[in-house]
Amino acid sequence: MVLAGLWDIKQSSIFNVASPQADKIGAVGNGFLVAATGMFLLVAVLTVYICRRYRARAGGPEPAQTSGNRKLEIMMVGVPLLMVTFFFFWSLKTMSAVLPPRPANRTPDVIITGHQYWWQADYPANRISTANEIHLPVGRKLLVALRAADVIHDWWVPALGAKMDMIPGTENYLWITITRPGTYLGGCSEFCGQEHAWMRIRVIAQEPKDYEQWLVSQAAIDKLPADSLTTKGAGLFMHASCSSCHSIRGTAAVGTDGPDLSHFAGRRTMLTGIQKVSKQNIYLWLLDPQKVKPGAHMPKFIFGRDSLLALTAYLSSLK
Amino acid sequence: MMKLVVGTEAMFFLSLIVAFIYFSLSPAFRNLQQSTLDIKTTGMFSVLLFSSSFTFWRADANCRKGRINRLKFWLLFTIILGIIFLVGQAKEYMKLLDEHVNLASSTFGTSFFTLTGFHGLHVVVGLIILTIVTCLAFLGDFDAGGSSVISTVGIYWHFVDIVWVFVFFVVYVVPHLM
Amino acid sequence: MSRLEHIRIPEPEKPLPGLTISSDQGLIQWLSSVDHKQIGIMYLWLSVLFILVGGIEILLVRIQLAVPNNHFLNPEVFNQLFTMHGTTMIFFVLAPAIFGFATYFVPLMIGANDMAFPRMNAFSFWCTLFGGLLLYFSYLAGGAPDAGWFNYAPLNQFSYSSSPGIDYYCSGLLLAGIGTVSASVNFIVTIFRLRVDGMGLKQMPVFVWMILINSFLILAAFPSLNAALVMLLLDRELHAHFFNPGNGGSALLWQHLFWLFGHPEVYILILPVFGIFSEVFPVFSRKPIFGYGFVVASGVAIALLAFGVWVHHMFATGLGNTVNNFFAASSLLIGVPTGVKIFNWLATMYGGSIRFSVAMLFAIAFLVEFTIGGLTGISFAIVPIDWQLTDTYYVVAHLHYVFIGGSLFGLISGIFYWYPKISGRMLSEKMGRWFFWLFVIGFNLTFLVQHALGAMGMPRRVYTYPDLPGWGILNMISSLGGGLMGIAVCLLVYMLFTSRKTGQIAGSDPWDANTLEWTTTSPPPLKNFNLVIPVRSTRPFRDWKRPDDTDWAREGVNNE
Ligand code: HEA
Ligand code: HEA
Ligand code: HEC
Ligand code: CUA
Ligand SMILES: [Cu+2]
Repeated sequence: MVLAGLWDIKQSSIFNVASPQADKIGAVGNGFLVAATGMFLLVAVLTVYICRRYRARAGGPEPAQTSGNRKLEIMMVGVPLLMVTFFFFWSLKTMSAVLPPRPANRTPDVIITGHQYWWQADYPANRISTANEIHLPVGRKLLVALRAADVIHDWWVPALGAKMDMIPGTENYLWITITRPGTYLGGCSEFCGQEHAWMRIRVIAQEPKDYEQWLVSQAAIDKLPADSLTTKGAGLFMHASCSSCHSIRGTAAVGTDGPDLSHFAGRRTMLTGIQKVSKQNIYLWLLDPQKVKPGAHMPKFIFGRDSLLALTAYLSSLK
Repeated sequence: MMKLVVGTEAMFFLSLIVAFIYFSLSPAFRNLQQSTLDIKTTGMFSVLLFSSSFTFWRADANCRKGRINRLKFWLLFTIILGIIFLVGQAKEYMKLLDEHVNLASSTFGTSFFTLTGFHGLHVVVGLIILTIVTCLAFLGDFDAGGSSVISTVGIYWHFVDIVWVFVFFVVYVVPHLM
Repeated sequence: MSRLEHIRIPEPEKPLPGLTISSDQGLIQWLSSVDHKQIGIMYLWLSVLFILVGGIEILLVRIQLAVPNNHFLNPEVFNQLFTMHGTTMIFFVLAPAIFGFATYFVPLMIGANDMAFPRMNAFSFWCTLFGGLLLYFSYLAGGAPDAGWFNYAPLNQFSYSSSPGIDYYCSGLLLAGIGTVSASVNFIVTIFRLRVDGMGLKQMPVFVWMILINSFLILAAFPSLNAALVMLLLDRELHAHFFNPGNGGSALLWQHLFWLFGHPEVYILILPVFGIFSEVFPVFSRKPIFGYGFVVASGVAIALLAFGVWVHHMFATGLGNTVNNFFAASSLLIGVPTGVKIFNWLATMYGGSIRFSVAMLFAIAFLVEFTIGGLTGISFAIVPIDWQLTDTYYVVAHLHYVFIGGSLFGLISGIFYWYPKISGRMLSEKMGRWFFWLFVIGFNLTFLVQHALGAMGMPRRVYTYPDLPGWGILNMISSLGGGLMGIAVCLLVYMLFTSRKTGQIAGSDPWDANTLEWTTTSPPPLKNFNLVIPVRSTRPFRDWKRPDDTDWAREGVNNE
């Protein structure tokens, strides 16, 4: 039980290592933890010892008035200096392993753009764009470019190593090599406004063949609406200004202010992790976005129940 | 005390100058900087400002020797030079505003007006102080001698000039060196 | 050696500014006072007021965070609360408390009767107060600032934060900044000009040294904040383009300017406190400070290094490994002089005769807690670790371990040590112990677990969080700890209030202390001194009390 609990806790933490980058950082982290514990114990034990040994006694004599000792001072400077020098070089080594310079001619494998409050993921080699749930292949050293559309955001998935700011006006990058397939959680780590809390990240790491398959399915155009309700929904989507912010591949919707909704219903979660994708949740979201995610940049529309049902049906048909 | 004030002011200008340099690394900024600024006219006015440091130095020296009449003369001379400099700066501002370069037009406008504007503000403050001191001189406050007021004000006034040396170099000269 | 004569402080030719006010004028007397002691007391009460405000703000936050997916506060309010909490605690709690002790005790410790510029001293205080009021006026004007205490661009731009909060943030901090800078000028001149005859730089108490160093640090660091604030105001009010990338501005410029101020600022908030400890440890161990020269020199080293480390707040902004390495090295180095201080205080206690007064208890607790905070600081200076842990609750833990376990413990220690001098009455040692244990236990409950939360992936400044394994329980512990600290702080404030009238009478020298402030009455008269005892070492009062065992005689022998 306890062990299982611990394992759960590990999942979203920096101790769940799923990439050599995170592994190297973990190593220097653990090394420092040991050294720091030693240093802390030195101070703590000295403090406790001195307090017990030299407690004032009634009528005790005036203690010797020593006021300095050269040798001791040299040790106070020398020992910490050695310790930090050691870690400085370890840090150098780790940094060049985790974040080597970016070759000029290599296009990134994926470009992730932070928006208030969602993630856009573009795969330049395959010309596809998705949002919020980010699929990556296992076993390849990926170059991930990081951009921001409005304010500063920050990409952080503990299991995959370093975090990196996304700064408007510049492009940053990370190297990520994922070792095991699975779902990795993270979150935006630079305060970016009201809904900073709900900019959670889900990375879905897949075996290369699954990943290729996923790419193909994403590049495909969503099925045309099958029944009258979804058709109505599709029509509404194009006319009720949804299409000015959202895009759906193969339709006239090409907006870029909101997340790309192609194959939206194929995702597990919506709104960067607030809730699962389900008819009810979509309905509630469209009913009043500001109630579900206050501060999100999607206005409230005045729809009747029928229209909402139609839109919901359409969106959940986008598999 | 004045030295401490001047020191902290220097750090303030350092930040503004650094911001200017930071933005000037972009080519668009450079182009605007080269095409809109007129180094010759401003250079002339700058020489006047620099010479006001000289005139102030004369005022200070005369004050120390107790030659109050000469002190008054050099103080007035300094004030006039300061005013001429401000007039020059005002004319340059007008010209730029006519060309639609302003605080909100581009990063060049933003950093140019902020940097030179804060310097101009310091010149204005300096002139106010100088005017007060001159009035005191005419009222006979320095007749007795032994006052350190003039040299204290001097620290400030020379500082304002020295800042302009840096500003002038960064804003007007550097683009011609590139 | 024969006992030296008192140094007579000449009667001033003009009346001291403080003396022109008679004491029967009540509130008016306080409002118009230019006496350093009254101004010091007002600074201290200002800080007490704001710790209550800042504390209530964060308690609301902790209630919101106690359980996952909570709806107690909406995100808008939450963001204003933590922003105001951080800004208040830094600029209107720690800073005024430090200035309060400094304006009160620097003149007393150097044997002077007032600050060099008493009117400017009052000006500094009122600037600080009105700066704080201006900041809080934002709540009435349509919303408090909501972009965090370091207020990153471009989130601080009008297009992303259109309430006037950030404009009040700028003007409030500018005003308070002017007060701070003028106070520093005042301290430097006071310390250089008004020391009593015989007190050379080497005889200055460490506290005075630290205030001196600190004042220079302020003069050098605050201008870059002021410049940044002015630029931001221009951006917001006049549509300038310093910080909005959409129009060619730069988001990183703000970070550089802010942290060029911000890092020195955190040392500004700890160095004077190191000074307080350097008074408390010797007094309650009955020994001179160990390695006086090293303690002072390490203060200077910290101040100098402080300007070379600001990028360590920006390791994750992609400035490149070369830049990062340089700043990593300087940040690691800064641990060394700090360590020197810690070990010197331990050595001061070693072989002493330790009295566990509440002031000393806080000093001892500080040694342990601050070491934790310092070591987590060093862990950030190792860049790869920072890449994992920056902007998580691990940072929140670090900053509270240094701010509370460091600065605040020091200030509280100072309160217990100096309250008798300021008020003439003792704070109850018994209730003080209750307060000590409540506060220290609450503090560790609140923040120790946050190290783990950070490592478990919880970013900071989130108004709520998903129910991931372990997050809920640790946050609950943290909130409970916060409540405990709240109770403790209330107890402290209660003690401060009531002991003024009911505390045990202190007498002029209740702790058998070493420095000049204890030679005058408690509270000191308006004119601090008529006679000052001769100063020939850092412990003039002890020399005076024990003429057969003086520091200067002993050191003289050592030097031969
Ligand atoms: C009083 C305030 C204070 C103090 C003293 C310190 C002290 C230190 N701080 Fe801290 N710091 C803050 C206040 C403070 N800090 C705040 C408020 C923030 C967050 C701001 C924000 O983002 O909101 C911050 C954030 C912060 C960061 C950025 C984290 C991030 O956002 O990613 C870093 C990175 O390097 C850092 C480093 C350090 C270091 C190296 C020290 C060193 O000075 C510590 C030195 C002390 C010791 C090391 C302990 C004693 C020494 C020994 C026992 C000797 C042996 C030790 C060794 C050999 C190592 N601090
Ligand atoms: C001096 C500095 C200082 C101090 C003392 C504190 C004190 C406390 N801090 Fe603070 N904190 C900061 C400086 C400080 N903090 C800074 C700089 C930040 C970063 C802000 C940012 O991200 O921008 C921060 C952020 C911060 C966060 C992170 C918020 C977030 O990222 O979302 C948290 C969360 O737990 C927290 C908790 C606490 C708690 C529980 C206390 C407790 O110790 C508080 C104890 C005091 C009280 C509880 C007051 C008691 C009063 C009463 C109970 C009311 C009585 C009423 C009357 C008499 C009228 N702080
Ligand atoms: C002004 C722009 C705008 C308009 C118009 C708009 N949206 Fe959105 N939409 C957004 C933004 C921005 C988000 C992301 C919100 C967030 O997560 O913070 C979003 C999110 C969504 C999501 C969740 C996507 C996900 O991946 O989690 C759905 C579904 C959605 N919108 C549907 C619609 C529909 C249907 C309409 C029309 C009725 C519409 N939107 C109109 C901007 C808009
Ligand atoms: Cu995006 Cu925080
Ligand atoms: Cu720092």
